[in-house]
Amino acid sequence: MAQVMAQRFTGTPVKRAEDPRILTGRGRYVDDVTFPGMVHAAFVRSPLAHARVVSVDTSAAKAAPGVLAVYTGPEMEALIEPGPYGMAAMMNIWPPAHSLLATDKVRLVGDLVALVVAETRYLAEDAAELVEVEYDPLPAVMTAAQALDPESPLIFEDLGSNVLAGPKVTTYGDVDRVFARADRVVRATISQHRHQNVPMETRGAVVDYRKDSGEVEIWSANQGVALVATVLSARLGIPREKVRARAADVGGSFGLKIGAQREEVAIAAASRDLGRPVKWIEDRHEHLMAAGHAREETLEVEAAVTNDGDILGLKVGIVVDAGAYPGLGGMVTNIIEGMVPGPYKIDALSFSSTSVVTNKATYVAYRGPWAAETFVRERLVDLVARELGKDPLEIRRRNLARREDNRQMVTGRSLAGITAYESLEEVLGRIDLPAFRARQETARNEGRYLGFGVATYIEPAPGTRANGPLGAEQMRMELAEDGTVLVYTAQMPHGQSHETTLAQVVADNMGVPFEGVRILYGDSAVSPPGLTGGSRSATMAGGAALTTARLLRDKVLDVAAHLLEASRDDLRIENGSVLVAGVPARAMTLAEVVGALRQPGRLPEDVDTELKVENVYDGGTGGWSGGTHCAIVEVDLETGLVRIERYLVVEDCGEVINPAIVDGQIRGGVAQGIGAVLLERSAYDAEGNYLSSTFMDYLLPTSMEIPSIEVVHLEPVPLDPVVNFRGVGEGGMICTPAAVCNAIEDALAPFGVRVLEQHLPPARILELVGVIEPE
Amino acid sequence: MSDVVEVSFTVNGVARSVSVEPRKTLADVLREDLGLTGTHLGCEHGVCGACTVLVNGSSARSCLMLGVQAHGAEITTIEGLSVDGELNTLQQAMWESHGFQCGFCTPGFLMQITALLAEEPNPTEAQVREVLSGNLCRCTGYQTIVEGALRAAASARSATATVRGSDLAPKEPA
Repeated sequence: MAQVMAQRFTGTPVKRAEDPRILTGRGRYVDDVTFPGMVHAAFVRSPLAHARVVSVDTSAAKAAPGVLAVYTGPEMEALIEPGPYGMAAMMNIWPPAHSLLATDKVRLVGDLVALVVAETRYLAEDAAELVEVEYDPLPAVMTAAQALDPESPLIFEDLGSNVLAGPKVTTYGDVDRVFARADRVVRATISQHRHQNVPMETRGAVVDYRKDSGEVEIWSANQGVALVATVLSARLGIPREKVRARAADVGGSFGLKIGAQREEVAIAAASRDLGRPVKWIEDRHEHLMAAGHAREETLEVEAAVTNDGDILGLKVGIVVDAGAYPGLGGMVTNIIEGMVPGPYKIDALSFSSTSVVTNKATYVAYRGPWAAETFVRERLVDLVARELGKDPLEIRRRNLARREDNRQMVTGRSLAGITAYESLEEVLGRIDLPAFRARQETARNEGRYLGFGVATYIEPAPGTRANGPLGAEQMRMELAEDGTVLVYTAQMPHGQSHETTLAQVVADNMGVPFEGVRILYGDSAVSPPGLTGGSRSATMAGGAALTTARLLRDKVLDVAAHLLEASRDDLRIENGSVLVAGVPARAMTLAEVVGALRQPGRLPEDVDTELKVENVYDGGTGGWSGGTHCAIVEVDLETGLVRIERYLVVEDCGEVINPAIVDGQIRGGVAQGIGAVLLERSAYDAEGNYLSSTFMDYLLPTSMEIPSIEVVHLEPVPLDPVVNFRGVGEGGMICTPAAVCNAIEDALAPFGVRVLEQHLPPARILELVGVIEPE
Repeated sequence: MSDVVEVSFTVNGVARSVSVEPRKTLADVLREDLGLTGTHLGCEHGVCGACTVLVNGSSARSCLMLGVQAHGAEITTIEGLSVDGELNTLQQAMWESHGFQCGFCTPGFLMQITALLAEEPNPTEAQVREVLSGNLCRCTGYQTIVEGALRAAASARSATATVRGSDLAPKEPA
């Protein structure tokens, strides 16, 4: 049985350790990093979606003021080793083979064609405009249907088609039997549109290659320095130990900033070639156009249902538009497949998946990358209810698995500890639904359209042990001379507040003040390898912090027992001092303990005096996060605008480390989900021109569109004897689009509207109700 | 290279002179020539508001202004908010409200709210939301930023009340 610790910080809204620097303008983001002699990069990017590169004339650019070098595709290939970049490198996706800068062809608007390095960014951009590129246009492959058409041109010749992955079909349970048993089959084709992460800080890097030592140092905006170093070492062809990847503050990412990407490798190659530090900071136009997009998927679904409302089984066919270069698009279907039954008692599933290549930006991870499973399932539940003439809540109540059912998902995942049903009940306990229905009816008679929608989800954050092995989390901890606990985490926070949450956990389990803990990260020379993502950090890093702090505490107590000549059992650490039970005068501060160890002869030789611990935390039993979201909306049929009147989240992420930080994660995700439905779209025209490359065209939600969001936490269900923190980064974004779309469909029920897509800007709302003609 | 122009202004209360190209934005002058990297660039086309600074007390997008246009002006950046190394009322309020997450949009919000509270010390939530609609944050959903602004206003009011109260108290002889 785990020792119960006095808890003073865990579970309370401790003010963030990050804020004193963030609030005073003293953060260090990648663009704040400078090196002596640093020069600046600008890329020449393709204006065409698909074309052969006939010639690249760099002579005028090379002669422009302040220019140090201009690299074409073939010149760059001579400086690097071919292979994958970014997330494709993490998953080792190769082929399709491609160059860093275009050698033979360009595959999207914004594709990299040439690199200019100059004394200032202004001069580099001036010179980039002087690079003359001759293109031979090819037909652009702009939709999944075009990609699947054998007559379409190939985007990657070595793939042999434009299919990146699949078709793959898997069945779980007896699909034929449940469909034969069904009273009816509800069918729908449901799509998610292309939209994107849009961190407020774009991508960027500074690279300093040292000719004397052959070492390279890169500072970049990223989610994990280890992968940056690994990719850079592979692409530059230099030993991993000679690459030091660093980051300090990172201005958001949401899944985008993974590993060293093409641009970052290019400037590293230029730094080595020129012997000068090179900086590249992506501008917003480049970012929106070419940094990566997410979520373009179409799902054909069939639900086998009984007339009573039991959902017996599903058939799902998904096609992912993975964009031009390899990213997550070929792999995301595996997670969607595993998760699509969600917290429901679904006994059979047939899942087919195909990912295709198109002349659009690369499919990247975006907060809950597999969220299609929740969107399609939670839409489908409402569609089933409408078809059966039943209440969607009744369908959920009938079909949600309860904890006492001790079920597995038909795809094999244990549902131990889920609280999906409880979260639905908690929502209904907080909303007076009969009163809402009466108000809705009155409003309809006045020509106003209110809607109510819920959606329920679970998220593997990190998932139960039965899901298979999890990547373990490494952590190192040591006592500094002044008694401060130094914590070396594998996490690379970019808004998650790990300097606060991990310090809370360490402080409580070590027995030191919150200020007595320093969280150190973002340096591949000293940080354990890892990545922040996948809602893993609460369990994995939180669990590593808890267990490692206890190991270090035990080591300190072993040593202190000798120093204080007391029984170890009589010692405890409190507020940074070792105390002896009943003898307050004999206390030692941790700084005094460290100091005593430096004095020869103070301790017997067989006592371990290294107050350092290296630990690996395996995730323990793990568990699910999840919950139910509820949206109440009003749809204005004159303007097509949707106003969110109330948004309620009932959430279970296990034991909460810092409620203010957890609620912030949830609300931020909800805001992105609302943006996805009402505003955001990464739009192309039929020729492949990108139409959303400014913030006038790609609309982010503002303080006017996002309502106050109520967050309620369920009492956690402990699964693990020690660690029951669970991740919360992605859930808000996973569940929101379905809740909002369900509410909009409810509002528009008098018009018989069926919402089969996720993007519902004003024009689409007006089309759906017949106020304007569809385009 | 282009000719450079001598520009003089007051930044966070200190007179500064720099020689800059006429085409260089105020944001780049602040960040590169003065080392004030607290001002951030999120879009460089005047929409996201991360680069907001105060120019003669009014909020301005430093990415849409040239450095030379600020000649003779009084400029305040996020680095100028804290007083004697202590967080000011707004910064304290944001800390207590857990206002921000990644922190990249923070300078713009703080400067915009500073301008708002100078003009309207007692704003409603609706006023705060409207004024902040020109600043984009991707992390928070805005709620904690709005709370922080309202908390700062409330705490400035109570501080003013305290000062007034002590003003009425009998003075100790010097």
